[in-house]
Amino acid sequence: MFKVLRILSLVLGLLGQNGLSVSRSSAAPAQVTLLSVDPPEVVLTSSDQTVQLVVTLQMSDGGLRDVTHSAEYSTSEIDPESPTRSAIEIVRGRVTPQGDGEVSVCASVFDPVQNKKVTGFAKVTVRDYSQERSLNFANDIVPLLTKNGCNSGGCHGKASGQNGFHLSLLGFEPDFDYDALVREGRGRRVFPAAPDQSLLLRKASGQIPHGGGQRLDMQSDAYRLLRRWIVQGMPKGSTNDPKVVRIEVFPRERILQGGDLQQLRVVAYHSDGSLQDITRQAEYKSQQPDILKVDTEGGMSSLERTGEGAVMIRYMGLVDVARVTVPSNQSLPSDAYAHFEPKDFIDVLVMQKWRKLGIAPSPACSDEEFVRRAFLDAIGTLPTPEEVRQFLADQSPSRREKLVDQILERSEYASYWANSWGDLLRNKRRYGDGYKRGTFAFAAWIKNAFAQNMPYDQFVRAILTAQGNVSDNPPVVWYREVRNQVHQVNDTSQLFLGTRVACANCHHHPYERWSQDDYWGFAAFYARLGNKQGEVANEQAIFVKKEGETRQPRSHKVVKPKGLGGPEYDYVRGEDPRQKLAEWMTAPDNPYFAKAIVNRSWAHFMGVGLVEAVDDLRTTNPPSNPQLLDALAKDFILHKFDLKQLVRTIMLSRAYALSSIPTPYNATDRQNYSRYTPKRLSAEALLDAIGAVTGSMEKFNGFPSGTRALELPDEAVNNYFLDVFGRSQRETPCECERSYAPNLAQILHLMNSPEIQSKIAHEKGCVSQLLKSDKSNNQIVEELYLRAFARFPRPDEFNDAVALVASAKDRKSALEDFEWTLLNAKEFLFNH
Amino acid sequence: MTIDVASGTYGCCDGITRRSFLKAGALMFGGMTLSGLLRRQAVAAAAGEPTKDLSVILIWQGGGPSHLDMWDLKPQAPAEFRGIFNPIPSNLSGYEVCELMPNIAKICDKLTILRSVTHNDGGHESASHFLLTGYEPTNDIPSNEVPSYGSIVAKELGACRSGFPAYVALPTAPRSSAAAYLGVGNNPFETQGDPNSDKFNVRNLKPPANFSVDRLQNRYAMLKRFDTLRRDIDASGVIGGMDAFSQQAFDLVTSPRVQDAFDLSKEDKKLRESYGRNTWGQSTLLARRLVEAGVRFVTVNQGGWDTHNNNFEELKRNKLPNFDQSFAALIEDLHQRGQLERTLVLVWGEFGRTPRINNTAGRDHWPNVFTVVMAGGGLKQGIVLGESDARAEFPKERPISPQDVLATMYHQLGINREKSYRNDADRPVEILNYGKPIQEII
Repeated sequence: MFKVLRILSLVLGLLGQNGLSVSRSSAAPAQVTLLSVDPPEVVLTSSDQTVQLVVTLQMSDGGLRDVTHSAEYSTSEIDPESPTRSAIEIVRGRVTPQGDGEVSVCASVFDPVQNKKVTGFAKVTVRDYSQERSLNFANDIVPLLTKNGCNSGGCHGKASGQNGFHLSLLGFEPDFDYDALVREGRGRRVFPAAPDQSLLLRKASGQIPHGGGQRLDMQSDAYRLLRRWIVQGMPKGSTNDPKVVRIEVFPRERILQGGDLQQLRVVAYHSDGSLQDITRQAEYKSQQPDILKVDTEGGMSSLERTGEGAVMIRYMGLVDVARVTVPSNQSLPSDAYAHFEPKDFIDVLVMQKWRKLGIAPSPACSDEEFVRRAFLDAIGTLPTPEEVRQFLADQSPSRREKLVDQILERSEYASYWANSWGDLLRNKRRYGDGYKRGTFAFAAWIKNAFAQNMPYDQFVRAILTAQGNVSDNPPVVWYREVRNQVHQVNDTSQLFLGTRVACANCHHHPYERWSQDDYWGFAAFYARLGNKQGEVANEQAIFVKKEGETRQPRSHKVVKPKGLGGPEYDYVRGEDPRQKLAEWMTAPDNPYFAKAIVNRSWAHFMGVGLVEAVDDLRTTNPPSNPQLLDALAKDFILHKFDLKQLVRTIMLSRAYALSSIPTPYNATDRQNYSRYTPKRLSAEALLDAIGAVTGSMEKFNGFPSGTRALELPDEAVNNYFLDVFGRSQRETPCECERSYAPNLAQILHLMNSPEIQSKIAHEKGCVSQLLKSDKSNNQIVEELYLRAFARFPRPDEFNDAVALVASAKDRKSALEDFEWTLLNAKEFLFNH
Repeated sequence: MTIDVASGTYGCCDGITRRSFLKAGALMFGGMTLSGLLRRQAVAAAAGEPTKDLSVILIWQGGGPSHLDMWDLKPQAPAEFRGIFNPIPSNLSGYEVCELMPNIAKICDKLTILRSVTHNDGGHESASHFLLTGYEPTNDIPSNEVPSYGSIVAKELGACRSGFPAYVALPTAPRSSAAAYLGVGNNPFETQGDPNSDKFNVRNLKPPANFSVDRLQNRYAMLKRFDTLRRDIDASGVIGGMDAFSQQAFDLVTSPRVQDAFDLSKEDKKLRESYGRNTWGQSTLLARRLVEAGVRFVTVNQGGWDTHNNNFEELKRNKLPNFDQSFAALIEDLHQRGQLERTLVLVWGEFGRTPRINNTAGRDHWPNVFTVVMAGGGLKQGIVLGESDARAEFPKERPISPQDVLATMYHQLGINREKSYRNDADRPVEILNYGKPIQEII
């Protein structure tokens, strides 16, 4: 036994030395300037408390390094009167009490650079070691069931339980669990007279067959604690016992090199102000398993990939997150950022991030690239050859500002954004043409809102609080699809707050702090909503009842209207609680509202959201650049929720105007905007673009010719092209319903469909017009390049294309074939 | 339950428990011919090597079919479990199926029935991902975290005949059917449309009228010259992956054999009737045409098995009759054509359904035990392996993981499960990292 320990400590000591001797950069190796032990002082007041120490080195290059697992620990009693046997035991920084006493802990590592040992200290006091604490079911036992998976959704936690034993999902209902363990099962589950005969222990430890296998070792602390609880007669604990109100992880943020370790320490704060180390009891999950791993005791290790990762920590319905950056180990040339002069706060903040990660941006894009990119991103429309020529001719320093301002004033701006918001607001005539009038009215209202640049808070307020008839107030159509409280909660939260709370309808949200009470408190804003036959045929009218309350379905108690984490409102007779909802949501200090929309908008232009998915903002899914998200939200609020201003700010940043071509210094980056992220044109934009290039616009049944795909009011207009290229079916408020994924059917259609061929060969189309004109082959090739790619052909392309056309027996076929080629090229299909 | 005979024929003397074996008297029922046996042995001998000529038909019963009302009836269970359907005997001694599957009852001697498949993921999306890839997703994900096995088979073996797509979904692919980091070129080709419709044709498979294949060839050559956008600007690899589609599309359009395979009107009318003139029936028939002609992996996507309400009405109205007719016809047809040995058929959804009937006469999600049916592909025929407990709630014998089923499939196809592909983070991920081929059936 002793030998083993000695060897172990030898190995650990060696690891510590080896770890430090590795030089991470070409510069002079950093030396240790300070060794700190966290927490510096701790008091343990019972035998089953433990504490995780975290030992950190501060290096001379400013870096921090975790050596918790590799440091050597020694202890000395502070009080010389106390017994010689140490009051604590330390393994890999975990302190377990052995008896009462005050102990000074010394942690040390060997620094090869200075060729000496560096040390740091912490003070640990153990009190009342032998006094057996009365356990509290909710605080002591439930977390243990959660951590061992007993109450998971796949096991006893699912709605129907498992083999007749049902626990609440993840232990969110301790009262229910207490009854299940203590009162059900005819006393066989727990048996204080002979605790070891309790089914709970025998099953969990695998002494008798258990469908879930062995979950607990009989020697484990968890087993001993469960047993002790049974011996104590299964105390439930007093309702006055302190409750956990908050958990906190240390450290919350670290930079790790590939292959580094970092021990976490998690503390629970109780309602009485006391703290408890719960590192061992908490659950851990890596959100990016490709970047970061985590074990069940809070030990994180980075893998070899550059990027950012987060570990979610969960304990009794509370969550926290630890974030890790793994920078590139490649050294950058000294002029890596020389071409990128920050222009506004966006540039400053993205650059800050690049520096942190050790990556560098691609060069700026050309004017040709910019004009096509700006048109497609802002208005879903290709620039015409004339517009491209005009822009390229403008040599003024402010040409891009002017261009963006011009684009944002065009009517296509409203069509493009109304199309996308029509998806999210689920404007559709599900039950057929009888619902055409309402659908069209709502579509027109949305489009008008964008044309007027209605401030976003007003836009959302108008929808949320809509009442009356379609004819007076088109946003009431929103309530056609969003037809009951469940839809109303889910759509409102996901769409406008970027937060998915649907899970909390039936049980506590597994990855967030939202409970069923929060869910139904949110639903209560809609408690008084009523509908009746409206004045317009088929269409309902929305009205507000004078009274009405919402009950939480499980407790059957009335819940007051309450925003997520927001204030609680009283029901007042004659008042519409939705007004309070709109007030809470659109207040400048709402934590979600502005962030949700700036993240959506950012993702639209930059290809990747600061939070992905764009409508899944939560503590456990942190933004890749929180400072930038905050700054964008602040700027948006400062400009009074002005959407066009937001678009302008993003489009005029240097970050938006980077080339999409990777460099050796950003080749693997996908989430930090070191280059422009290419994206396929949306189904509607692509169909319109094909119409624009071929000069033969798509014809939609029942709409005047010349109607663009982006102008369609809903998804019910039959069109194979739009379906196969992934338009939204408007069934959910999720941005993800629109698909950009390529497939064979799309390519077949582009390459080989009669529809595309007939556009190319259309008698009034582009090719026909060019043939009839007196343009030379040179001019024609140039014209086609400008139409499809918004650029002039490069010399080699130009020569080959002209030669092809000139040598063709049939000039018409040759031009058709050439136009087909451009339409099938990736450069056309993608905004890049 | 009776246990049958003929074990010598199958050479199952490797110490595996036979208690849970329901063995087919294949010879007794005439289920397997000598030539079939020899073929199977040939396939077995080649195991470990890619069995180049094997195809797969996956019948995906999305939503989760009710094992208790189809393959694993429990007439002795209390009323709130057993449901309203009665069992009928099958042509497999001692094995009974639901009375609404009379045609299937006559072909059970050709099936490989696994009654004790189990996992513990009760969510549609995550469980579908699990059962369509072999990997449980680590996060809430809208798309594939790892490739679907259809994509893996397509990537590993390619089409059986060049010019054909390797992986087809009829008429659309269920979620989690995509190729992930294997590249979009290994996504399934979805025909769209309703194969039962008289107007059904796969769009754009034939060149437009008055348009020669030569001209298309010329266009394709031009595309290769002028499609110069750099593929590496897209870190997700989609742009580069689309080139594979262009090639596939070109191959499809220029091959009359492919055109024929997708053309159901070339099929015998009587045979079409036998599969059932409905979407499932004709999709299943099309699947057989495609694997026979050269497609490697076909998914027949049957949705709508999520019978939370009125389970029995729902099953009785269309689902069971249509499935019964189409599946029985498929097996019989493959058998008649001598194609069953080279076609592995797999029927499952993401889970089974709760044995206890809920208060809307429905059944909810139940992954703890459910039945998976396989056929052909060199597997032993007429076997019922494993058993669930008295209420079909949990495995009683021989629990089988979904990965065991997939390991068996890969084994039959001769695909090395330990081979890795690099994911987007450049980490190697094995084709399958868990599960063993089910020895009792191979």
